[in-house]
Amino acid sequence: MGSYKSPLAPPSINKNWWVVDLIMKSVSIIDYGKGNVRSVYNALDYIGVDSVVTKDHAEINNCSHIILPGVGAYGDAMSSIRAYGLDEVLNEQVIKRGKPFLGVCVGMQVLSSVGFEHGEHKGLGWVDAKVTKLEKGPECLKIPHMGWNQINLCSKHPIFRGFSDEMLVFYFVHSFFMQINESEKILASCNYGINFTAGIAWDNIIATQFHPEKSQDAGIELLKNFVNWAP
Amino acid sequence: MLKKRIIPKFLLNNGSLVKYKSFFNDKRMAGNPVSTAKIYNDYGADEFIILDIVPSDESKSKVLEIIKTISEEVFMPLTVGGGIKSLEDINLLLRAGADKIVINSQAVINPNFVNEAAKTFGDQCITISIDYAQIKDGVHRVFINGGRDRTKHNPIDWALKMQDSFCGEVLLTSIERDGNMNGYDLKMIKELDSKLDIPLVISGGCGGIQHCVDALNAGASALAISSLFLFTDHSPIKLRSHLYSNGVNVRASKNSRN
Repeated sequence: MGSYKSPLAPPSINKNWWVVDLIMKSVSIIDYGKGNVRSVYNALDYIGVDSVVTKDHAEINNCSHIILPGVGAYGDAMSSIRAYGLDEVLNEQVIKRGKPFLGVCVGMQVLSSVGFEHGEHKGLGWVDAKVTKLEKGPECLKIPHMGWNQINLCSKHPIFRGFSDEMLVFYFVHSFFMQINESEKILASCNYGINFTAGIAWDNIIATQFHPEKSQDAGIELLKNFVNWAP
Repeated sequence: MLKKRIIPKFLLNNGSLVKYKSFFNDKRMAGNPVSTAKIYNDYGADEFIILDIVPSDESKSKVLEIIKTISEEVFMPLTVGGGIKSLEDINLLLRAGADKIVINSQAVINPNFVNEAAKTFGDQCITISIDYAQIKDGVHRVFINGGRDRTKHNPIDWALKMQDSFCGEVLLTSIERDGNMNGYDLKMIKELDSKLDIPLVISGGCGGIQHCVDALNAGASALAISSLFLFTDHSPIKLRSHLYSNGVNVRASKNSRN
């Protein structure tokens, strides 16, 4: 239980999610393929941030932050990203202009150079990595890796500001994982029979294998830190 | 390590929350699904299962509305089903905010349906629901259409067959135990879990904390619970802290996380 606080004391940022800096924040949630992108929108709406689900290049150019949600399989995701010309927009806005970027699940996996989900597919290639299937281990683990799991941070990052160890439990659902060659870009790992990469980050880019928009208060906190992040 | 999941299960009859015993007896109204979902969200449940048990065109649009409302304020996985017959049914629910779709009768009626759905929306998106009962000593059969029609399938073989059709998860419900709160079918859980490569969610019979501990020890990945939460003073938060302090690998409760 928390200790008594005078009503006049300033609110602590971590415990009061509504205290966010809302000035000039707008988030583009990239719309590609089939699936549930509404939940990312709902989560941002819940913390009071303007967002738009879009594949319109002008809208993406005008926003302050970009989220690439996780929808469908690697190959499908990449072909619709290319079909809508989103790869060029993302390269321009994220790599050249340095807009804060969050990739979620498949939205993290496609940052790799190559993915092996139902065939071999070329990714965005922002990180030297490949995406391969989780294999059933000796401990008889179930595939897909579905449910809540603890992550371990490999380095500090503002996106986990205010997190205690016990809060670092997030919702995962995936059968493929990223094998990364640039170990300095690993932000967090997770154990599921093997240790795999649960999050990557460098410069203005962060991406997670888990779903913050489905991870209750921990996920809401992470999204709030993301929209307040000014790398 | 992956945590074991505690999943409140909601049964909807034309949009309102209901609960029976053994699928057909002792109908009880159990309140408003949206407000109950919000409360369980604050209690820190891990996921929701929401099933429309008497599906019709009218109830389907009500369910869509309910999922839409819940997903605006509840940020955890929503597993939704009942009367899923086509890819379009699935698409509508996903667009309304569902994350996983439960398929039951249609998998028996159209054996290719699960495979087709998994290919279109991803394996992890499809949960196969199996309702079973014992028809004579040691012989179990799968029932469809809300427990009304018996099929020729044995639940274990059927689950393995559905796994080969690329469903992502199995929801196993014992019709006899449903709502009776006298414990899960541990023998069936053990046997199925030892053969299954995908996660197993079990349902039917939970009446106390020890039942939950036993079922998780028998190999279940997750517990789907309704009566225990709806009709006793147990809540997801209470169950979680009991399990946690008994050394079961569940998420810590919300209070101790903050």
